[in-house]
Amino acid sequence: MPITDEMIQTATRELYSRSLRKVPEDAKEGLRAAMRTESNELARRTLDLQLKSAELAERKDRFVCSDSGVPTYFVKIGSKVELGCDLKASIRRGYEELVDTIEPPLLKHVTNPLTQERGYHGKDMPIVSYDFESGADYIEMVCSPKALGSGRWAALELFTFPSLEQIETYVLDVAIKAGAQHCPPVVMGVGIGGSFDHCASLAKKQTLRPIGQVNPEPILAQMEERLKSAVNALGFGPMGTGGDTTVLGVHIDYSSGHGFTPVAVCFNCWINRRTSVKIWNDGRMEWGE
Amino acid sequence: MSLREHDLTLPIGQDAIKELRAGDLVYLSGEIFATAGLPTHDRLLRCIDGQEELPFDMRNGALFHLGSLNEEAEDGSLRIVYMNPTTSTRFNGHMPRLIPGLGLRMTGGKGGLSAESARAMAEAGCVYLGFLGGGAEIITAAIRKVTGIGWPEMISHYRIARIEVERLGPLTVGIDAHGNSIYDTTLEAAAGRREEILARMRTQREGT
Repeated sequence: MPITDEMIQTATRELYSRSLRKVPEDAKEGLRAAMRTESNELARRTLDLQLKSAELAERKDRFVCSDSGVPTYFVKIGSKVELGCDLKASIRRGYEELVDTIEPPLLKHVTNPLTQERGYHGKDMPIVSYDFESGADYIEMVCSPKALGSGRWAALELFTFPSLEQIETYVLDVAIKAGAQHCPPVVMGVGIGGSFDHCASLAKKQTLRPIGQVNPEPILAQMEERLKSAVNALGFGPMGTGGDTTVLGVHIDYSSGHGFTPVAVCFNCWINRRTSVKIWNDGRMEWGE
Repeated sequence: MSLREHDLTLPIGQDAIKELRAGDLVYLSGEIFATAGLPTHDRLLRCIDGQEELPFDMRNGALFHLGSLNEEAEDGSLRIVYMNPTTSTRFNGHMPRLIPGLGLRMTGGKGGLSAESARAMAEAGCVYLGFLGGGAEIITAAIRKVTGIGWPEMISHYRIARIEVERLGPLTVGIDAHGNSIYDTTLEAAAGRREEILARMRTQREGT
């Protein structure tokens, strides 16, 4: 049985809707762990309030944040998938159905950068990137709605044969520049190497990696630890009123490349919006965070 | 040290505002004004320049950077479905004039405002209150009544909503009326620690 238009539309709608209402379990666990180690009393109050906000939104099936951002999806197509629809068109239809029917309704955040006109629709919406997975008989979709609060602090710079020290200094400087504008404690995603576009994509995908997962590359696992304690030592704290908890994790990936080495950094705010689904040829759908 | 908490009611006078210190917590009752629109702030500046009429008199009041889904029902009743703060630093260019121009005692949202705004606040007797970003349900739960919507021709979160709230909070005094800004202090402290942090990372790298 091939994967149908209806299944893709349902996945597109549900992923976005769920990501607005539920803070992932590992992010909540990260906040709870921070409550135990945070030395600043005001920071502990804020962490507690964040957990309360997450619980309340989940229980009442409402949005955690009023800014639903713009929809971005990462789609991975298994090489053994039987596709019974025009995938791109199905995703677009699913998104358009969502913005017309979601309850409560969304605010109009999709902006034409040339005219500042705002609405639900626009050129290239939703933003989707496609990839393949060898041997898999499923499609995996990941949704990450992105808003200005944490979105605007992402940065990328090109270096030539940088040392680890240069890379880490750059990441720290991006963190200093962002301050607490991105609603901390955040997850920082870092990409190193590859090309301009690939590096940015690596960084973005790292913000979606579950908190607490150890990096399989030993050099990066150590770099993640160093940068996490370095950024937390800056002292911005939850919502920027001071404290030891500015990041819940720094997640890094790399790609081989040429001597010009891009380094990209981006952020996901404390609610860590991300949802995923696997859709199998036999029609099964497995939802994840 | 335990945190100082204040229960305040709007409209509010300068004396009560001057009691507040950066880092205190506030629960707020009475009428507030809320908007998240950049074009709204441009329009407010035109109002204080006398080019347009203000929809509301905000003197001794609170204008917060809050985005809301607000709507007018067929029977004319107003309601807010949800409300949450937006990034205040987007309005750094507006607030130094709007604070004295509108006669505000409170402003707020998330992320704080620039040092220039903090100076305007100290001169005018105004504070900045920090809301929890991603606190929509907590913030919305404090709404008692919507008493007016200014500029309804704009999209929902650009309008100015006048809202009666009860114990809205906890909100953090991020910038007080004495020139103290938690946001500036933390930013300066972070920049000050940069060299020491980099040196520590260097030692850690050499140890591996």
